[in-house]
Amino acid sequence: MPETTVIKKQYDALVIGGGIAGGEAALNLANMGFSVVLVEKDLSLGGKMIHLSKVFPTLDCAACITTPKVSETARHPNIKIYTYSEVKNIKKQSDKLFTATVFKKPRYVNEDICTGCEDCENACPVIVEDQYQHDLVGRKAVYIPFSIANPRVANIDMDNCILCGACEKACLAEAIDFTQVIQEIPIEFKAVIVATGYDMFDPKKLPNYGFEQNKNVVTAIQMERQLVPTRPFNSVLRPKDGKMPNNIAYVLCAGSRDETVGNPICSQICCMYSIKQAQLIMGALPMADVTIYYLHIRAFGKGFNEFYQQARSMGVDFVKGKVAKITEKENGNLIVRFEDVYKGKVKEAEHDLVVLSTGILANKGIVELFPGLNLETDPFNYVKQVKELENPSQTSIPGVFVAGTASGPMDIPDSILSAGAASSETASYIRRLS
Amino acid sequence: MASNKTKTLNLVKDKIQVSEQAKQRRKTYSAMKKQILAALEEGPMTLPELAKATQLPINEVTYYLMTLRKYGDVKTGEIDDNDEFFYYELKKQQNHGED
Repeated sequence: MPETTVIKKQYDALVIGGGIAGGEAALNLANMGFSVVLVEKDLSLGGKMIHLSKVFPTLDCAACITTPKVSETARHPNIKIYTYSEVKNIKKQSDKLFTATVFKKPRYVNEDICTGCEDCENACPVIVEDQYQHDLVGRKAVYIPFSIANPRVANIDMDNCILCGACEKACLAEAIDFTQVIQEIPIEFKAVIVATGYDMFDPKKLPNYGFEQNKNVVTAIQMERQLVPTRPFNSVLRPKDGKMPNNIAYVLCAGSRDETVGNPICSQICCMYSIKQAQLIMGALPMADVTIYYLHIRAFGKGFNEFYQQARSMGVDFVKGKVAKITEKENGNLIVRFEDVYKGKVKEAEHDLVVLSTGILANKGIVELFPGLNLETDPFNYVKQVKELENPSQTSIPGVFVAGTASGPMDIPDSILSAGAASSETASYIRRLS
Repeated sequence: MASNKTKTLNLVKDKIQVSEQAKQRRKTYSAMKKQILAALEEGPMTLPELAKATQLPINEVTYYLMTLRKYGDVKTGEIDDNDEFFYYELKKQQNHGED
């Protein structure tokens, strides 16, 4: 037998993260003729945006913007995509070349032949909290991540599989493959775009708000899921008892601008997504009252202040006050204790559903992807933009660029702009190498 | 459709340990499904009525009922007179002659 050597796959650029920023950056580079390898840790492309209902301030449908971009990315001849994969050990071999290893995790389903028919899912007898519906409803141990996932391919959650074999029996395409293992794929590339996005603040770190104990206290992303067509319930309902809420409160700055929880900065998106959701709720539940407890409304972007005024004129009640405590009554209603800043008084109000407008945090762990190279971060763990004004996507490592919320909190239009900047800086860098 | 292909599960069954958590989740779902569907045999119910009939914590009944709804065992009916709670009812399965 002839000796085999591992041939490293070569690309012009590695894009880490297949959300809206990573996807946009990859598409731009691919359309300029560069070859791109895109590595996404989740089961689908589309990042967080693909799960949203509408975007502010235009109220355009988020999925209608994301899914065409995602399919274009997935079908582009210049883009190689690894989903459910992680890239590690990014090293510089020379001034012009990086190497790394992609670890492709097993789905236990052959991606090339799975048709996404859901027969396996219907046969599976195990129920696990559906992470894509933020635990409001269950999913099976073998599951299609969500209806508009790309690739729309099943995955077996081996931690919750009982090895009953029902999925394999049900799969007419014979796509189930329990023998899959992690694949290691060595890659070479000239430049990197870090588009690893953000993490949501964990509301359990705000014990006074009683998230989890108070079952009718939800996060804004849980409310967002209730407002999409593929929602977990049949309508906007309270997760505790399925009651249709008619008096909903939003608590802004839940985990942002708060030194005590280690996140002193503004998350930049919570005011606007809360104002957006308030308007959508008024459409979904015409009889409902919506109150927003806020410290300051930051409506700084194009059309944002008009959007805020629109919510006010629709009847959303804006109360300037810091919420101190939320307690649940026996009937599931919630008592919100807050300081009314204008009146200088501590007050209490009853609501039947409370939404925490949780902030966003840096997605830690990016630095470890670059052993031996010093990827600098800012004091809040976001990737540092070393020349914020001249070259906003430049990082501390030559050839490594940053796009989207990996560099700090920003909304969707800014993430797309940032991805545009990162892709053009990357293109210019690659051109200058040769 | 019978296949001659060896089931891949048989090749790994001895190598993978099934977690206690997974076994428990299967048991819980099967028990919840049985109780909720049995209660709904009596007719459409709201979630508080269903919690009373099954004597289960209402938040768990809500979670599993919504899961059963997602997988097509239960469908949504009318809303009650106070516009507060929806009724849920059994979805009669179409028999395709396979199961």
